Amino acid sequence: MSKFTKFFFVIVCVFCLNSKAGFCEEITIDTFVENIVKKENIEKPYKNLNYNYQSTKKIPVKIFIKEKIKSELDLYEGKTVDFIVSGDVYYNKRLIIPSGKIIKAKVGTIIKNGMNGIPASIIFDSFEIEGIKQSQISDSVEVFGQDRSLIVFPLKWALTFLPPTGSLTNFIKGGHAKLKPGKILKIYYYPEWT
Amino acid sequence: MFKKILLLILTAFTPLSCFAIENTIADEQFVQTHLSSVGASILNANKIEERIIFVYDKTDVKEKLKLDKTLIDRQVIVYGYDYKFIEDDNELAAFISRKIAEAFRSYSDFFDGRLSSLQIKAAPKKYQLVFDKIAVDYMVRAGYNPIAMITLINKSCPQKRTDKLSSSNLTSKRLAVIYEYIYTKYPYYLLHNEYFKNKHYQNFLLTSQDNRKMLEEKVRSRSTRELNYE
Repeated sequence: MSKFTKFFFVIVCVFCLNSKAGFCEEITIDTFVENIVKKENIEKPYKNLNYNYQSTKKIPVKIFIKEKIKSELDLYEGKTVDFIVSGDVYYNKRLIIPSGKIIKAKVGTIIKNGMNGIPASIIFDSFEIEGIKQSQISDSVEVFGQDRSLIVFPLKWALTFLPPTGSLTNFIKGGHAKLKPGKILKIYYYPEWT
Repeated sequence: MFKKILLLILTAFTPLSCFAIENTIADEQFVQTHLSSVGASILNANKIEERIIFVYDKTDVKEKLKLDKTLIDRQVIVYGYDYKFIEDDNELAAFISRKIAEAFRSYSDFFDGRLSSLQIKAAPKKYQLVFDKIAVDYMVRAGYNPIAMITLINKSCPQKRTDKLSSSNLTSKRLAVIYEYIYTKYPYYLLHNEYFKNKHYQNFLLTSQDNRKMLEEKVRSRSTRELNYE
């Protein structure tokens, strides 16, 4: 073995022994990803990076839910729900979305009702309308339950002088988020946004 | 003679202190520009039609009791204490997105948003999880990796003994809720995980084994019930 080869071999050994490069570190495998996620069909999520908000044109799209939602407790995050368009939507005298068209959306976030009269709410997002880019539609719509905090907070303050009666108002809960097919929601279509 | 020495000392040290001040200002200006840029991208990508501004304050918020201006002035303040945990743009976006979600909610509802601000203050524990979830959505739409939310919270939020009488959730519970939310809505990021070899993410995997096992069982049984993470 030549001197140069010996020198090179020693250098490599010293580097390997001192290295913190990671081949001695243990990597924990995410079993959830291995067992569950890898078996699913996964799409790349939508990103809105090429925006241009010069145009101020926006057209309301009136929608209503296809099936009644009795409470936010009947739903789960990520569930797909169907909305129906109520009334034709025109832009430049051209029919863009016909009345009765089904729009798919997802239950984005569920906020449960709480103490002090705080209402439950459901945020619907990821609206999909055929032929329209997602960047041209509103991102989300929120449906609220009955907001009893409007009564609870003034009542609490009024009862502060009679302790602990004010604190008892904490136990008044807000309303559940319900959605009937008759209830019209509004999302917007921005025809000139990219 | 004394005057000459004094003058010499002054001329020797004055420029140095000036440079130091200039450097500090330049550093702060750099952080501020970066913060505003990331903040504006999140607002624009999410079509947030309300004004929210971003301010860098190098002081340690733990030392000074300061009023949270997120709900009142719609001003997202990143304090030096929080900023020192942030290692990349995704983590900065995670921190800002949470605050944007909070500030944006204070615009809606009765009395110019005063009622919703009051509700947030009255139920901080509930809204903490809500803002974590909304922040994940904001990050994804703005092109940031939501896994950074896990790494940031894992290294910056302490773990209390219990959350029964606390105004905030156990950090382990928050992390598990975020992980489940990412799995439910954006599994792409778990499959193509840029943070997989990150030490803080690995630490999360190490400390969240029971919670992830619970989630695995939930998915296998096709259940939709809410899990009681610990």
